[in-house]
Amino acid sequence: MAKRAKQVLSRRFLPQDPRAAIPYRLTPALALRIGVLGMLALIVFAVLFLRLWALQVLSGAQYLRAAQNNQLRTVRVPAPRGPILDRNGHILVSNRAGTEVQIWPSDLPKNRAARVRELRAVARVAGVPLSQLATAIRKHRGDLLTPVTVKTGVSEIRVDYLSERKEDFPGVRVASTFLRSYPYGSLAAHVLGYVTEISSAQVNALGKLGYKAGDEIGQSGIEATYDRYLRGSPEVDKIVVDSLGRQRTPPTPLSLGHAGDAVRLTVDLRLQQAAEQALQIGMQDARASNCYGCWNANGGAVVALDPRDGAIRALASWPTYRPSVYAGRIRKTALDAAGLTAATAKASNYPALDRAIDAAYPPGSTWKPVTALAAMEEGVLTPYSTLQCTPSFTVAGHTFNNWDPNASSWMDLRTALAASCDTYFYRVGYRFYGLPGGPRLQAWASRFGFGAHTGIDVGPEQTGLLPTPDWRKQAYTRKTDPCCWQVDQLWKPGDSIQLAIGQKDLLVTPMQMARFYALIANGGKLVTPHLLQDVEQAPSNGRRGRVLPTAPFPAPAPTNVDAGALEAVRQGLLEATHLSFGTSVGVFGSFPVAIAGKTGTAEKIIDPGDGYPRTFNQSWWCGYGPFDSPTLVVCVLIENGGHGGTAAAPAALHVFQSFFHVKSSTTGPVHSD
Amino acid sequence: MAVDYVARSAARTRRREASDVTALVRRLDWILLGSVGVLVGYGLWAIAGITRHDVPGNAHYYVVRQGAYVAVGVVGLLIALLIDPAWYARRWRLVFGGAVFAIAIVFAQGAVRGSKRWLDLGFFRFQPSEFGKVLFVVALAGFLAERSRKLDETRTVLQAVGLACIPIFLVFVQPDVGTAMVYAAAFAAILFVAGVRWLHLGVLVAVAVFVVTTVLWIAPAGGVHILKPYQVDRLTGFFHPNSDPADATYNIVQSKNAIGAGQLNGRGVDGATQTTLHFLPEHHTDFVFASLSEERGFVGASILLGLYLLVVWRGLRVIALARDPFSAIVAGGIVFALLFQIFVNVGMTMGIAPITGIPAPFLSVGGSSMIANLAGVGILLGIHVRARGSRR
Repeated sequence: MAKRAKQVLSRRFLPQDPRAAIPYRLTPALALRIGVLGMLALIVFAVLFLRLWALQVLSGAQYLRAAQNNQLRTVRVPAPRGPILDRNGHILVSNRAGTEVQIWPSDLPKNRAARVRELRAVARVAGVPLSQLATAIRKHRGDLLTPVTVKTGVSEIRVDYLSERKEDFPGVRVASTFLRSYPYGSLAAHVLGYVTEISSAQVNALGKLGYKAGDEIGQSGIEATYDRYLRGSPEVDKIVVDSLGRQRTPPTPLSLGHAGDAVRLTVDLRLQQAAEQALQIGMQDARASNCYGCWNANGGAVVALDPRDGAIRALASWPTYRPSVYAGRIRKTALDAAGLTAATAKASNYPALDRAIDAAYPPGSTWKPVTALAAMEEGVLTPYSTLQCTPSFTVAGHTFNNWDPNASSWMDLRTALAASCDTYFYRVGYRFYGLPGGPRLQAWASRFGFGAHTGIDVGPEQTGLLPTPDWRKQAYTRKTDPCCWQVDQLWKPGDSIQLAIGQKDLLVTPMQMARFYALIANGGKLVTPHLLQDVEQAPSNGRRGRVLPTAPFPAPAPTNVDAGALEAVRQGLLEATHLSFGTSVGVFGSFPVAIAGKTGTAEKIIDPGDGYPRTFNQSWWCGYGPFDSPTLVVCVLIENGGHGGTAAAPAALHVFQSFFHVKSSTTGPVHSD
Repeated sequence: MAVDYVARSAARTRRREASDVTALVRRLDWILLGSVGVLVGYGLWAIAGITRHDVPGNAHYYVVRQGAYVAVGVVGLLIALLIDPAWYARRWRLVFGGAVFAIAIVFAQGAVRGSKRWLDLGFFRFQPSEFGKVLFVVALAGFLAERSRKLDETRTVLQAVGLACIPIFLVFVQPDVGTAMVYAAAFAAILFVAGVRWLHLGVLVAVAVFVVTTVLWIAPAGGVHILKPYQVDRLTGFFHPNSDPADATYNIVQSKNAIGAGQLNGRGVDGATQTTLHFLPEHHTDFVFASLSEERGFVGASILLGLYLLVVWRGLRVIALARDPFSAIVAGGIVFALLFQIFVNVGMTMGIAPITGIPAPFLSVGGSSMIANLAGVGILLGIHVRARGSRR
């Protein structure tokens, strides 16, 4: 019984195991090992405690900041870009509402396969190639806190799809934005310019001015020059997101934005429209005249400015484009069709080129007043000295022809200008050739603003080319002509002779020409052509509406040209439009307002696209009115338009008709150079 | 007479049983039991906060489940406490077979999240390797206790290593590198407590170091990929934590942000953005310590670590008190496995240990881990109850 009790006991919870032969004891060896384990445990806990202390107490503030930044996203809500107005307040450019899809790369799925799947879906919905998306995101690498704008102007239905399935598209958000809107289509496209998303190079260059990736920025014209006024400042909002980038709180503004300022131009909408029509009229007239090469009249420029202060009233260039192709997502096919890519520009005759300021042409006879003024200033000529106007002029075995082979009379300066006698000016030019003291004609031309930028507030601008003996020396080297470069380097009589009638190497822009005629009109002052009238700050977010101070344009600069000489030229220009032998009398003779001006027919070697470069006549007309107190200078160039009186003068007339609100009663036959 | 005898015998038996229960209660390690109890309660409270915003509309989803696991675990603890270790010491072969079978059976199942660690029982996803941990310790202890006089022989050590490698390998290829590491750590402690010679231990450590470096660096450099690339990234990622937040070390960066942001007093349940906005992945399982630290701060995390320390200390004390080699070895294996899991899990969240899928003992939401750990504590308590002498 005792044994059984013992068995019962052993099956219960009491300690003694009857089978243990030797009672088990805690040996020193085991004690040591337990001690080692104990030490190990203490070390482990000490390490954990210290690390916890370091993380939470020593650098807790830093990690707290990191945790807060984790969930915070700053969103830039774009400000509406300022409108561009004409001088009478007509809106030339404004905004329309658009939507865009933003991708936040940091909130995309961490898993590569899921990320690719999502991007593919977004690409399909937004109608953007996946590769384009990937490139955009790659470009954004390193900037996790601003979104990649996928597409502006996606359609409503597509936006709805994305916003309804927010959960399926972590890191993708639909936002509203503003797109540029152009109520007059292509009107004044070169003046206004266009707007696109800022490039990474521009972010790097302009980051100091507060530009951020994703901003819109003006890329040309007024939009570029006055971007600092137009862009306004975006509202910066703070939102809290979860780890999938889903918005958890309504946006709270960190800084209030304000709308862009309105930029008012000196341009007159009506006159601008007239100027663009005038270009069409000029080109039509040219083609209708059936003159040699006029079939190729497919480009031109009109400059209309106030000679008193250089305010530009109209600035047109043809061919042109619609800046709206850059609003929203830019499609390469649209750019191609508009001729705005390098590959297609030539076929469309360079529509992005502003021919008024960024293209240079030989001025032809419109240059003769320059020669006349310089000659009188240098004592080469007096207003009343007479020279023979012959059918041709021969110097050192070279013969230079007059445009009118029947001319044969003695002329004073006024008549020579009015009849545009070439041989008269050849003789004047030859007198300059022998003149001591360097190239005096060029010195005066330079004083009149040629060979330099006009300082207009849009760009880019060409300086043209004012040839001098020094220029010849530098321009011609063994490389340009291995046989005769030493001869090319010489300034020869022919150079002076042809320069006198605005030919050979001389190149000017229509804007330079208009500026020079403004100088004639305003009594010898060189104006700075400009487009900005003022900047008007819109009242928004506590900013009151007011006109902002802007840097004034330089006042018209006196060139100290002799008043008598100027008067002689002015009379010549008036006779050119009013006397029977005047070159544009048929156009302006019966116009109710007295217009003075000069035709020009400039020979330029052009490849019309058939691979045979040959000489084409560039049609010019520059002038001003009213004669007594000029308020408008107009300068028209029609590429390959034939004679100045054929194409450019009728175009200029159209501009004057619009400006003075009068019509010319008749237009007579045109006999001009 | 006979009736009288039977009646008296029954009464005696009842008295004896009563005294047995009294003895058991008296001999319980109340500090160990109490600290585990507080730890489990503290864990439930922490989980309640951490998972409050996880399941929309059901703030108590996880804490209720975890409570149910604790209830099952308490039953497991009681059973383990009541069974005399000698009973299963004799049956270590059966225990070993059961462990290997349980671990191997998951290979018949489909993979969950790329690995085969769970056995789906419909109402409960069962992770055999967690239970296998306890069985593994018991089986290896039984093997070594049987050969307690031949422990000095290389042959015995090699046999033990061979035996241990079977379940370790099976867990490793599930793949569950973390749990395999726990097995290996427990095995090391078993050899250590059993009294294997220092020389043998040294050689084994050297071999282990060689194998690890081969698997992690040398073999991949030679073009042989034993581990999957993500595993290598996770195991080695803590050497260069700030390399790329979007990939391998995203978890660790977010985890450190969470812990650090908790500062001294914690950000509270609603202010803990790392947890509630899901920046911290697996915040109720593997990274639960980071969530606890974010919500309850240094104070709250220290309380947890203090409780862990208490449990480990009482566990080490059980080794010293064990009445026989088997009990001592089992206690050593269980305690060290616990210590190892605490270090790797907590260390991982703080960026000082590799990222492995080891849950925090008594804290992470998970039935298998909770039940197995409570059963392990039950074994420790059972050993303590049957300890030498009568002193506590």
